[in-house]
Amino acid sequence: MIELDDVTRVYHGSRGTVLALEDVTLRIERGQFVTVRGPSGCGKSTLLMTIGGMLRPTRGTVRVDGVDLYACSARQRAAFRAQRIGFVFQMFHLVPYLSVLDNVVLGGRVAGADRRRASELLERLGLSHRLRHKPSELSIGERQRAAIARAMMNEPDLILADEPTGNLDPDNAKQVFEILSAYHRGGGTLVVVTHGDMADGYADRVIQMRAGRVMTEAGASVMR
Amino acid sequence: MLNLATMIVREVSHAKVNFLLSVVASAAAVGLCVALAMTSEASQRETRRVTRDLGFNLRIIPREADEFDFYNLGYSQHTMPEEFVHRMAQHENLSYEHLVATLQQRVEINGVSVILVGVAPSISGENKQPMQYEIPPGEVQIGYQVGKRLWLKRGDTFEINGVKLTVTRVAFEKGDIEDVTIQGRLSDVQQALNLPGRINEIRAIDCLCLTADKDPVRILRDELERLLPEAKVFLQSAKADARAKQRQMVEKYAAFMTPVLLVVCGALVGVLSFLNVRQRTSEIGLMRALGYGSSRIATLILGRAMLVGLLGAVVGYGLGTWLALQYGPGIFQVTGGSIRATPWLLGVAVVVTPLFTAVASAIPAVAAVAQDPAVTLRAD
Repeated sequence: MIELDDVTRVYHGSRGTVLALEDVTLRIERGQFVTVRGPSGCGKSTLLMTIGGMLRPTRGTVRVDGVDLYACSARQRAAFRAQRIGFVFQMFHLVPYLSVLDNVVLGGRVAGADRRRASELLERLGLSHRLRHKPSELSIGERQRAAIARAMMNEPDLILADEPTGNLDPDNAKQVFEILSAYHRGGGTLVVVTHGDMADGYADRVIQMRAGRVMTEAGASVMR
Repeated sequence: MLNLATMIVREVSHAKVNFLLSVVASAAAVGLCVALAMTSEASQRETRRVTRDLGFNLRIIPREADEFDFYNLGYSQHTMPEEFVHRMAQHENLSYEHLVATLQQRVEINGVSVILVGVAPSISGENKQPMQYEIPPGEVQIGYQVGKRLWLKRGDTFEINGVKLTVTRVAFEKGDIEDVTIQGRLSDVQQALNLPGRINEIRAIDCLCLTADKDPVRILRDELERLLPEAKVFLQSAKADARAKQRQMVEKYAAFMTPVLLVVCGALVGVLSFLNVRQRTSEIGLMRALGYGSSRIATLILGRAMLVGLLGAVVGYGLGTWLALQYGPGIFQVTGGSIRATPWLLGVAVVVTPLFTAVASAIPAVAAVAQDPAVTLRAD
């Protein structure tokens, strides 16, 4: 489902050049739960954003379900994201002026995505009593669950989660992984960037990164 | 999918203070511009009145008149046909405005020597107010000293060479030659002096408004020479200078203040709009990440900006109009009462201000939309 070939991403900043990804080649099959681990600044988030069509690589190709994402126009890429990919961010990125329900509805970009489905999702994630609340009125764990509900709104084939438990206590983190695991058991593909090892118990594959390179897969072959 | 109008309303109600401050800033900027526009108009009106009240600055007399005698006596002893003034009036592109034919001579009434002045109605250009009050036939206005010496008061009647004249006004003491003057209608004075169809001076105002380094006399004399070689003109330079300087000062001040105020107000509104959108960069990034197109995001961002601009324009117009009406009359003592609300400014404000706030907001919005969503999100 996901094919990365020789993907390199360089950031040019005022303090010089940073090589965030270096010649990364990677395959992730449909229905897999993959965690990407590594120290801060090793390129995990950059890898995730590149897979999600949110960050153009400096070099290399990214294909999702055979679609070369960066050969498409920005509009086509946006449409692809809307229909096929759900995102969960470490900082949640909930719109502060919208209610929890509206934040989830905001994620609905395909026909049939409506308030009823958003309510059902929130109910499933234990937030039925928070539908009319603003994000600022929610606990950190609740915010992350609301963000996951938004990511699931379009029933995406793929969910990309960037440090989804980075700001959560262990109980809330466990709850988040249970939810994501349920999505995976339903046939979804999941790539989770994480610092800790809590996700390893749920994942099919664990990819270790260092200095912009994919180093190892847990108990398996070295990708590069 | 959420309705865009709903999102704008939710954002506004969530960030009320921010929205209110943006509207207040826009309203203040529009209000200042409206007040300036209204008072500028008043200031120009006031200047026209003040310079007009300075009086005539051109004296056209018969060519054969002797300058020394003219200044010494205060008028020309020679006369010229009244038709000259009409000849001048019919000529276009002449630098002479508000032409008034006069005939004046010293006469003796009951042993008192006074200056009798006949004044024809002012011939002014189109859309121009006459320079002075038109004296009706059979009526005169007398100077303060004339009234005192001849024991004349308003309503009294007297005769000069068989012409019966009624006093309609005794002037306040002016401290100049007018205090010993009787002013009547030109035709009456011509009859009283037995000089029908004759005048001895045409008074006028120059409309050159030249800078100090230019010579208006040469231009005026050249024009008159071509049109009316039987006459000559003298410029009362002190009055002409004062008039030109006053008008030029007001025009220069408006030419300086208007762009400065527009730039300052524009910058105020622009910076606020810009900052507001910058604060929403991560929201733009999120919507891009969720797959929203740039047109929908632009509508969301610019819609709010235009709402700010529209409300700012309406409130600002009201504020500016109130300021001008409240304080204008105190500043412009002569014409302040004629300051009126200017509805066309509201039309301009409700078109220009939303456009301006939209453009100012579009700059960071377009920059945010043009970037990869990950970069925009990371800017948070």
